[in-house]
Amino acid sequence: MDTNEETVQGQVVSNNDPLTIKSDLDFIEALRNRCGDYFLKCMQCGTCSATCNIAPDKAPFPGKEMAWASWGIKDRLMNDPDVWLCYQCNDCSTRCPRGARPGDLLAAVRQESIVQHAFPRFLSRWVNEPQSILLLLSIPIILLSLALILRDSIEEALGITKEVGDQILYSYSSIFPHWLLNSFFLFFTALVIIALIVGVKRFWSSLKAFDNPDGSITPVKGLMPSIFSAVKNIITHENFSKCTAERTRQFSHIAIFFGFIALSCVTLWIITLGINPLISGSFVYPFGFWSPWKILANLGGLALIGGIGLIIRDRMRHDAQAGAGNYYDWAFLTTIFIVVATGFFTEALHYVRLEPHRHIAYFVHLVFVFTLIVYLPYSKFAHVIYRTVAMVYAEHTGRNDDVSLDKGENK
Amino acid sequence: MNVSAKPILVIGGGIAGMTAAAEAAEVGYRVILVEKEAYLGGRIIRMHRYFPKMCPPTCGFEINTRRIRQNSRIAVYTFTTVEEITGKAGNFVVKVKKHPKYVTGQKPLDDSITEHITSERDNDFNYGMNKTKALYQPHDMAYPRGYVLDRDVLSDSDAETLVKICPEGAIDFEMQEEEIEINVGAVIIATGWRPYDANKLDNLGYGQFPNVITNVMMERLAAKSGPTGGEIIRPSDGKKAENVAFVHCAGSRDENHLPYCSAVCCMASLKQVRYLREKNENARATVFYIDIRTVGSEEKFYYDLLEDDKISFIKGKVAGISEDSGNLILDVEDTINREKLHNKFDMAVLATGMVPNTADLKIPFELKYDMYGFIDRSANIEGIYAVGCAKGPCDVSRAVKESTAATLKAIQCLGGGD
Repeated sequence: MDTNEETVQGQVVSNNDPLTIKSDLDFIEALRNRCGDYFLKCMQCGTCSATCNIAPDKAPFPGKEMAWASWGIKDRLMNDPDVWLCYQCNDCSTRCPRGARPGDLLAAVRQESIVQHAFPRFLSRWVNEPQSILLLLSIPIILLSLALILRDSIEEALGITKEVGDQILYSYSSIFPHWLLNSFFLFFTALVIIALIVGVKRFWSSLKAFDNPDGSITPVKGLMPSIFSAVKNIITHENFSKCTAERTRQFSHIAIFFGFIALSCVTLWIITLGINPLISGSFVYPFGFWSPWKILANLGGLALIGGIGLIIRDRMRHDAQAGAGNYYDWAFLTTIFIVVATGFFTEALHYVRLEPHRHIAYFVHLVFVFTLIVYLPYSKFAHVIYRTVAMVYAEHTGRNDDVSLDKGENK
Repeated sequence: MNVSAKPILVIGGGIAGMTAAAEAAEVGYRVILVEKEAYLGGRIIRMHRYFPKMCPPTCGFEINTRRIRQNSRIAVYTFTTVEEITGKAGNFVVKVKKHPKYVTGQKPLDDSITEHITSERDNDFNYGMNKTKALYQPHDMAYPRGYVLDRDVLSDSDAETLVKICPEGAIDFEMQEEEIEINVGAVIIATGWRPYDANKLDNLGYGQFPNVITNVMMERLAAKSGPTGGEIIRPSDGKKAENVAFVHCAGSRDENHLPYCSAVCCMASLKQVRYLREKNENARATVFYIDIRTVGSEEKFYYDLLEDDKISFIKGKVAGISEDSGNLILDVEDTINREKLHNKFDMAVLATGMVPNTADLKIPFELKYDMYGFIDRSANIEGIYAVGCAKGPCDVSRAVKESTAATLKAIQCLGGGD
């Protein structure tokens, strides 16, 4: 492939005819609904790509994406791994001479990409439209209520004996026993995992189609080493630290990220209570306040709420530096916030032994935990998966390899 | 012709104002030409060459100077500002303020005198690239000729020296500013432009790295009368600039700076590429642009440069300049080949845009300005006509045409015709 063909490749959709551009006007409309008209002001000066510290030298983003968006070239954008390499630190948006906000555009493309790849699609449609919010919230309310109503008959049928005693009484297991919570959430988590596997498979073939229409790629790095590098990059927040315009996002993301990890560890520990070989002897549950697990959970919750608070503060500005922030962003932020807030609230009510308020709070908490986990494949939360996959793909195909390019040499 | 008609006031003695004054006077009307600097010629007299014909500005300037000098109907007030305008078309009362030059002009001075003083000032004629003595002639071609004394930088001992060695009555330290009231029939505003402050382009390293210069500085480097005698050399070490980057739209077409296109910088940069190539056959030039805006016949100027294999054109706006041991590294995306470049250069010339002088120095009369400070094109006030860059960025030839047109409008306000 000579350079001319390569140049044209990204901007042309079919027949190798450089004059044929299939514009998808509905797609342009969808992007405008997500991030406004700003991107249509782009004049292709390349400031954004040149400013970006993360974009590789070869076919850098977000310059080419801005052109594709203006022209409505949907399949290039939907298959584009680069939109997922962007962290929306908005160095591009603050430097853009036209106020075209490339950072917001890429965020909008990522959202569209999740909607396109997620399975089943009707759910991603619901998660993405404000008018379905009541429907989405009523699902966990109904399901959890059903589980509580049916609890006794199931226990009877399965021959599960009710736990008794003061210590048990003052846990939540009198109403929400462990077997119920575990099986309820494990069942839905399994569904989420199946949906994610389908979504990721679709996404992976999209990525391959981006590099080559027939889907064949030449890996430069094995899959496992690629996964290792991507995960290492994610944990160290290495790419975040390259941003200059929005410095606080690195810290807020670190807080949220590790807060989540702390809470996940504690959850995993409790779920595996029955089968975990590491837990033996006198395992006391519920945890006392000074139990190391409780401390870890509380610290995780605090980190989460601190990080979310910082992000909400920045998002409120809606400026080029912070990014526009639309329903998609706010739904995600609000869900996390409510999960953590109701979590702490439930804990507090528990310590002051308020009956039955603590159970009501706990119920609300569980509704939002369900919302967060079960709608993960369709909400902004899905970035955890899609971004990781795209980063693995980038490592796998050598997207970030710029070593072959002569830096600092005049051509 | 009507010699009894009221005179026309022309504010600004650049090429637009000089043209208007000469045109009106040559058809018999009286003109008062007011200029805030000590000399006529404004921006153009600091150019090395004009595009597209590459003639030196001295030819246009010299002709206009002669037209003005020879015409007794034109009164030229330099070092003078307009303080107040009242009235209406056909009858404006204008207060102007003559600022003291401290040099009377009645006794001859020469450079043997300036040798005896030490106080220096930044030479604004050369955009601060060199210094002059506190007693100085603005430039070789200055009209009106004569010395100016910068009292702000003159030391006490130098002041004593001047008193001792200057002919009696040549310098008057007691000179006061003088306010004059004049009565005119029409006003032509030719207040012109100044280059955008490149220090505000924080990503392009101007002011941090000596080898980042602006396009107006490049004109002075190329000019024989400039600080280097016409040699295009790097400010950092005086080495010949062999590999120069021309950065288009440095500030222009940028919402963070000047949202508008400054209209002339594309051609100005291409012209400067020619200076470089004509003065040094080994020199290489790289032009970074968003679009090359060469209109009409100017397109040929650009196409001719495309033939030269020592000149490369890269489509992409420069996003950052950094320094590596005296050399500059420019970060840019080549938007045609979709590749980020980090090329190295000896020197970078920023094509800074045009800011109207009326952005902060307003005309003391109720006028409408656009949001950038240019005088609003749609505002139609009888008797007051803005021309050239006071109205919007334009090149010399358009400014001159606008001046001629405005002169006719101004004459029509004076009355007295058949």
